[in-house]
Amino acid sequence: MHASLSRVYWLLIAPAVLLMLVFYIYPLVQVLWISVTDPVPGFGNYMELIDRPLIHRIWITTLRICVITTSITVIAGYAVAYAMAQVGERQRTWMMFCLLLTFWLSVLIRAFAWVMLLRTQGIVNTGLQEMGLIDEPLRLVRNEFGVIVGMVHFMLPLAVLPIYSNMTGIEARLVSAARGLGASPFEAFFNIYLPLSKPGIIAATILVFVFSLGFFITPALLGGGKVVMISEYIQVSFEETLRWGQATMLASTLLFSVLLSLALVARFVDLKKVFGAR
Amino acid sequence: MSLIKTLYEKDLYPEIEDSAESDFARDCIQIASERLAKGEIDRRTFMKAIAFLGAAPAVMTLGGKTAQAAEEVVVVNWGGPAVEAYTQAFGVPFEKATGVKVVIDGTGPLGSKIKAMVDANAVTWDVCDTGTGTTLVLEKQGVLQKIDYGIVDKSKMQEKFAYEYGCANYMFSFILAYNKTKVPSAPTGWADFWDLEKFPGYRTLRKQPNGMLEACMMAAGKDKDSIYPIDLDLAIGKLKEIKDYVIAWGSGSQSQELFRTGEVIMGDIWHTRANLLNQETNGDVTWTWEQGIVTAGMWNVPNNNPAGTKTAMEFIASAQDPEQQLVLFNAMGNGPANPAAAAQVPDDKKYIDPGQPENLAKQVLQNGPWYQEDSGVRNLTNDELSREMWLDALSS
Repeated sequence: MHASLSRVYWLLIAPAVLLMLVFYIYPLVQVLWISVTDPVPGFGNYMELIDRPLIHRIWITTLRICVITTSITVIAGYAVAYAMAQVGERQRTWMMFCLLLTFWLSVLIRAFAWVMLLRTQGIVNTGLQEMGLIDEPLRLVRNEFGVIVGMVHFMLPLAVLPIYSNMTGIEARLVSAARGLGASPFEAFFNIYLPLSKPGIIAATILVFVFSLGFFITPALLGGGKVVMISEYIQVSFEETLRWGQATMLASTLLFSVLLSLALVARFVDLKKVFGAR
Repeated sequence: MSLIKTLYEKDLYPEIEDSAESDFARDCIQIASERLAKGEIDRRTFMKAIAFLGAAPAVMTLGGKTAQAAEEVVVVNWGGPAVEAYTQAFGVPFEKATGVKVVIDGTGPLGSKIKAMVDANAVTWDVCDTGTGTTLVLEKQGVLQKIDYGIVDKSKMQEKFAYEYGCANYMFSFILAYNKTKVPSAPTGWADFWDLEKFPGYRTLRKQPNGMLEACMMAAGKDKDSIYPIDLDLAIGKLKEIKDYVIAWGSGSQSQELFRTGEVIMGDIWHTRANLLNQETNGDVTWTWEQGIVTAGMWNVPNNNPAGTKTAMEFIASAQDPEQQLVLFNAMGNGPANPAAAAQVPDDKKYIDPGQPENLAKQVLQNGPWYQEDSGVRNLTNDELSREMWLDALSS
């Protein structure tokens, strides 16, 4: 009985598995294959990771931006999620609405909106100048700063949602109990609430970091052509210089680094639990 | 001619005709070929049918036949208004003259798409409208056919734009554009562009080095005749001098946007974009032809193109007609590639035509072959190496 039931389950997921095999795993294997066969068989493309300064630079830029973006996004996201978990029902609905509203705007429109706000004659610079706070306009966009602003803005909902969903499961009376037993508000937060919200923080960190690694449009537009991240270079190799071996090598490396970071995290936390599979 | 060829092949390879397995498929192809010849189906349907029958190799032996039966030539450009403009300029006249239908496909002949088509042996495009950069990259990949200068007339274009694997379709220039209201005086060349003291503010250069390296060389004091061979270290060194004040543009619209938002005071951009800016700012943004770099839009023919080499070349040759090029110029502002067209450009539009003798005299013709040459580093061409060095310097 039990065994036949499990066979039914396998049958039920078979179409999904087949779909994944044909449209996901097969092309992925092809990408890996090209990376070791084009232009000549071997690991020549992967050697570029070691001996090519341009690729070093691009990888370092990518990692630096990802780490900065993830840190800011998760801290800011935590604050927003905490506020959402504490306020009343009406305010929460509004907060959620505002959060999701930005999520629905195209990434392109958001990038242009940031350009308009942050450019030298934009509202931020002219405002600061009129208030007499600065003499010369600040460079807020078309550089790494602009890229990080744009990326944090894009990623914020991705951080808020898992943290918030984790916080709704935290028993509020535990904090009250700590306070009752003599803990200061800060102690109660740091010793009770923060550790309980750790799974949410980890989930948010993974999500934001992995998303940031492959970011393309925002850096390309807000970086003014000077902040080249890995995906943009993949596009250049793939579409402009037609060095598909190099492009697929970089794409594969990107994939491996995502898997590697997941594996590293998995050593310390139970990922299934974090993403609610258990 | 084709009969002789077919007989010869049949005699040589009787198994193609007689092997039981391919009989049905072959029969279907024959029927399709006949219908195609009678005009009952178009070539695309025919090719689809062939592909569906998995009989592409069999068709190869009918090569002579299908090439002769070519009833349409598919010309790919970048879409939008270019579809209508190319139809009027080149499509209608070619159709009238030869009876071969011209299909203008606006999906954009990306180099990667052309390579993928040729690699997969599923080419559906005959003539592609690309640039010098793409032509050189595709040539190295070995996916293009040589231009047949027996059919295409070399004298109807600037000699420098008659590449082995591509030839000029129209001309355009990289020029120094500037916003009059934001510079103390009109800059007169790349030395001014590099002068941060006299012209403080941000500038825009392209993300790709093509058309920029020449400006760097002139900024370094080389005169127009001694730009090539480009000294890459010198040119990239010049970029590094001003790079903190450079915002890079990727697409033409991006270069226009940077002037619109007031982020830059000058730029090395395409003259067509400068002209649009000139119109929309009532002349605030303008440009100089001085030390401009003239380059060309390129016709490419991918390997194994469906209409056959001859038809594709004939189309390209037909599009060399000055009258046709003027239609395109009037519709889109693409400078005629044929020098004979220059005199026919209306007087009030001569100032936007890079090919006018007085404009040409101020500019440099880009030297494509230099980009193809081996750079001496890791088997890369100058084109490939300069792309890397340029991006590295920009992002450093």
